Amino acid sequence: MNAPAEHHRNPRNERIGQPVRRKEDLRLITGKGRFSDDVNWPNQAYAVFLRSPHAHARIGAIDTRAALAIPGVLAVLTCKELLADGLKPVPHVPDAANPHEPNLVSPPGFKEMIAPHHVLAVDNVRYVGEAVAIVIANSVNLAKDGAEAVEVDYEVLPSVSATPAAAQPGAPKLWDSPDSNISIDAEVGDKAATEAAFARAKHIAKFETQVNRVTGVPMEPRAAVAQYDTATRRYTLHAGSGGAVRLKQDLAKILDVPANDVRVLMDDIGGNFGTRGMIYPEFGAVTWAARRVGRPVKWTCERSEAFLSDYQARDLFCTAELALDAEGNFLAMRGSNLSNVGSVPSNYGQLKKGVEIMTSLYRVPCAHFRARGVVSNTMLTRPYRSSGRPEVMYIMERLIDIAAFDFGFDRQALRRRNLLQSHELPYTNAFGMVYDSGDYHDAMEKAFALGNWAGFPARRAEAKARGKLRGIGTANYVDTATGVPRERAEITVHDDGRVDVVLGIVSNGQGHETSFAQLINEWFDVPIEKVRLIVGDTDIVQVGGGTHSGRGLRLGSIVMFNASNQIIEKGKRIAARLMECDPSVVRFFRGRFSAQGTDQTRTLTEVAAAAQRLPDLPEDLRGPLTAFSDETIHIPSFPYGCHVVEVEIDPALGTLEIVKYTAIDDVGLAVNPMIVHGQVHGAIAQGVGQALWENVHYDAASGQLLSGSFMDYAMPRADQLPSFTAEFTEIPCTTHPLGIRPGGEGGTTPALGVMINAVVDALSEFGVKHVEMPATPERIWRAIREAKNSPKRPATA
Amino acid sequence: MFDFTYHRPATLANASTQLANAEHKPLAGGMSLIPSLKFRLNRHAALVDLGAIAELRGIRREGDTLVVGATTPHAEVAGSTLVRQALPALSVLAEGIGDPLVRNRGTIGGSIAHADPAADYPSAVLGLNATVVTQQRSIAAEDFFKGVFETALQPGEIITAVRFPCGPLTQRAGYAKYRQPASRFALVGVFVVQTAAGVRVAVTGAAPSVFRFTAAEAALNKRFDPSALEGVTLDANGLNSDIHASAVYRAHAVVEMAKRAVAAALGQGGSN
Repeated sequence: MNAPAEHHRNPRNERIGQPVRRKEDLRLITGKGRFSDDVNWPNQAYAVFLRSPHAHARIGAIDTRAALAIPGVLAVLTCKELLADGLKPVPHVPDAANPHEPNLVSPPGFKEMIAPHHVLAVDNVRYVGEAVAIVIANSVNLAKDGAEAVEVDYEVLPSVSATPAAAQPGAPKLWDSPDSNISIDAEVGDKAATEAAFARAKHIAKFETQVNRVTGVPMEPRAAVAQYDTATRRYTLHAGSGGAVRLKQDLAKILDVPANDVRVLMDDIGGNFGTRGMIYPEFGAVTWAARRVGRPVKWTCERSEAFLSDYQARDLFCTAELALDAEGNFLAMRGSNLSNVGSVPSNYGQLKKGVEIMTSLYRVPCAHFRARGVVSNTMLTRPYRSSGRPEVMYIMERLIDIAAFDFGFDRQALRRRNLLQSHELPYTNAFGMVYDSGDYHDAMEKAFALGNWAGFPARRAEAKARGKLRGIGTANYVDTATGVPRERAEITVHDDGRVDVVLGIVSNGQGHETSFAQLINEWFDVPIEKVRLIVGDTDIVQVGGGTHSGRGLRLGSIVMFNASNQIIEKGKRIAARLMECDPSVVRFFRGRFSAQGTDQTRTLTEVAAAAQRLPDLPEDLRGPLTAFSDETIHIPSFPYGCHVVEVEIDPALGTLEIVKYTAIDDVGLAVNPMIVHGQVHGAIAQGVGQALWENVHYDAASGQLLSGSFMDYAMPRADQLPSFTAEFTEIPCTTHPLGIRPGGEGGTTPALGVMINAVVDALSEFGVKHVEMPATPERIWRAIREAKNSPKRPATA
Repeated sequence: MFDFTYHRPATLANASTQLANAEHKPLAGGMSLIPSLKFRLNRHAALVDLGAIAELRGIRREGDTLVVGATTPHAEVAGSTLVRQALPALSVLAEGIGDPLVRNRGTIGGSIAHADPAADYPSAVLGLNATVVTQQRSIAAEDFFKGVFETALQPGEIITAVRFPCGPLTQRAGYAKYRQPASRFALVGVFVVQTAAGVRVAVTGAAPSVFRFTAAEAALNKRFDPSALEGVTLDANGLNSDIHASAVYRAHAVVEMAKRAVAAALGQGGSN
């Protein structure tokens, strides 16, 4: 609940569950943050990348002489220097196995594609914008002059960018070895049981769709500054990312040096969304260049360059079927998912994390899906906010509405009938995923009630009187959060009352400095102002998986909790010494140790000071009061919820207004509900953005990117979105010691499906059955027009 | 951005002298020119900033003519009482250009000299049958816009003002814009004017250059009402087609936005 009273609680109460104002915001909104581009090192030079103008071409001779002749141009590095220096490709791990998830395994005889992603193109370029050379100069302008003077002989090759097209036999091939562009071809689920269930089905709902490609567009473009110290032979890179430790390890692999020869630094980071989750070729190139030129080298990505070179996302072609019996019980689901991975298979997270929950929160006894990846002449795709799940939730929720439409079921009734009941949990879905806990019906009914579904017919009639088409839609969702399993926290209580937390999780804007400090406040009663997170320096932070997959607070809280408990146990033994009692009678509550049966107490700060001061403590208690926890946690978490949206369409132009958006999300336990609400709101905007506006558009014939700037890539804007009605349910997660489920992705996960369901409902009077994403006014207008022209045949657009 | 020399003359005469060099480029608000320089799409030896020339800026009424100085920013046009009284539709149009930053910097002269096919002002200039005044001559709106980023301006020629007929000559006018979702430029913008000499309908955003929608004018001459446009169509041939809208959809949208512009002129609703 976002009741005003929440914000007027005792301001000193900073414990778990309080909507504490974000302590980092004053710094950030007054320009005092330190983002990567704010960092400048003495004597730094500047890098600019020369990028391919072709979607697919063989690189012939590269003539750098004219560029090198420009005064102030220090170096032009190409694949020739890269190969001579032995730089390794970006160390992608396409499929990270998790014992709790199905593995994507191709059949015997199918060789899964492995292709190198070099930091500069070697032999061929495979997408528009692929870096071909890095030019280092005394200024950005001079580096641009140099890049324009580099002459590259390209032999243009046929290209393919669109998803089904890239998988067709005879499509232009990107890589030499395999027979086609298919990079992985796996099956999940039980094929025989599924076929049998379909054979006895009364109804089969069918759906085919191309989920559009989007890009994350962090507000802060990428930037990097790197240097090489000839004395210590160490590289230092300052660059924002999803986490410092993985960036360090991956950078060391590219440079082919021991990991400890690399130091990575980062401070404030303006958005990640997965887009910034993995090392980029440019980071490797800039760091390498710093050694080559003997000066620090800085690179700041321009926005138009980001549209070309930021990892992109989604882009899934899917055919799916849902089998039902006469009453509307779901019997089985089957289909095929084809994920466009871009020019190199780098991460099958989108494919895998989608296909393993195709059946969502519904009782679907069996299912079978084919899961394929395909390379194409486009920028690589990788996980982006709720990787893979928004796509499949959209597919399932569309199938349900299509079943209702085709076979005369009520949309709500169909969901009520098939949504899993609490008593069925934990529940193993048809792909082997185990949903732990929750009350899915409660979330759905709350969404129906808050969205006032019952009153919709009157609102539709009122809109019709104004000439508008009003539609309502709903979507349930589940989100499987896994991610890099290992995380470590080291907590130190200082003798002045400050608490330092060393953690491998950086904030990309999520407000960790506040919410993580609230945990410490809860456990130690230390004001959040006294809690410092140390996350962005790999010389201090040795372990940690970074910020993605809803793992930040979920895994961070576990290791922080463990380390805090150890500190309390150590503290009890020290306090016992101070209070001259047995440790077994010492209790710790609200920041104080007390000896039971006496009036003696000691504060945590006093105990921390004693640990430093007392000369004769046992060795494990001597020195700073500190403890660490290092855990590897594979078990997934399953946030869930239900959204309801209502739209109004102007049939004259197909333009659309979102009238009301209602979200119920279960996050298990909201440490800071105000921050979680902010995450939900932003996540909804990103999901709605994909459903209605955003689209990475490669020209089918040329492979040129036509959505290369904010002039052509339509971002969601505040004036297009209503004030959200968002509430939580908080059913504790049974696989997390504090009951926490992730809260950062839930807003996006159902947003695609709920939007399209509402749009199609608004057009239902014309017999429109589907509108593809992004559901632009033209698509909506055409759907109406085509349906009007052929009233007997349901239309799709 | 490539290096250039920057001039800021205080008089039109000096600006004319400096712009006699074909390598020199006039700079008004810079809302299109500066980005094109940043992208290294253009290279000029010098920029001649017209911002210090007092006579180029300001709004005045001369009888039945509203004179808008070339370097008058959009925000000034939008906020001007003179404009609101004389040509409220022009005020509405200016208020809808870009965002506050663009409206505070961008100028009417810069906009029409640039002749972006999706700019708003060209529809008002053509729709209101305005006259573009330069330091050398007066150019009728019909003769001014030549194509994509093309105008009748000769090298070195500087727009000094735009003269809009108003008063009894221009009975009522309305502007309706359908915004492109990303840039929010006009995907289609329609300026409708009812004058003593007949109705004029000017369309921006839909084609390589602003144009008059004569079929709509004919229908509206019979009856100045949105319903008069029922059944009126625009040929999609030659219209713009891009990732945001096909030519067919634009043709449809032009008719629809023309209806809304008429409604706005009749006081039945605002700009979209």
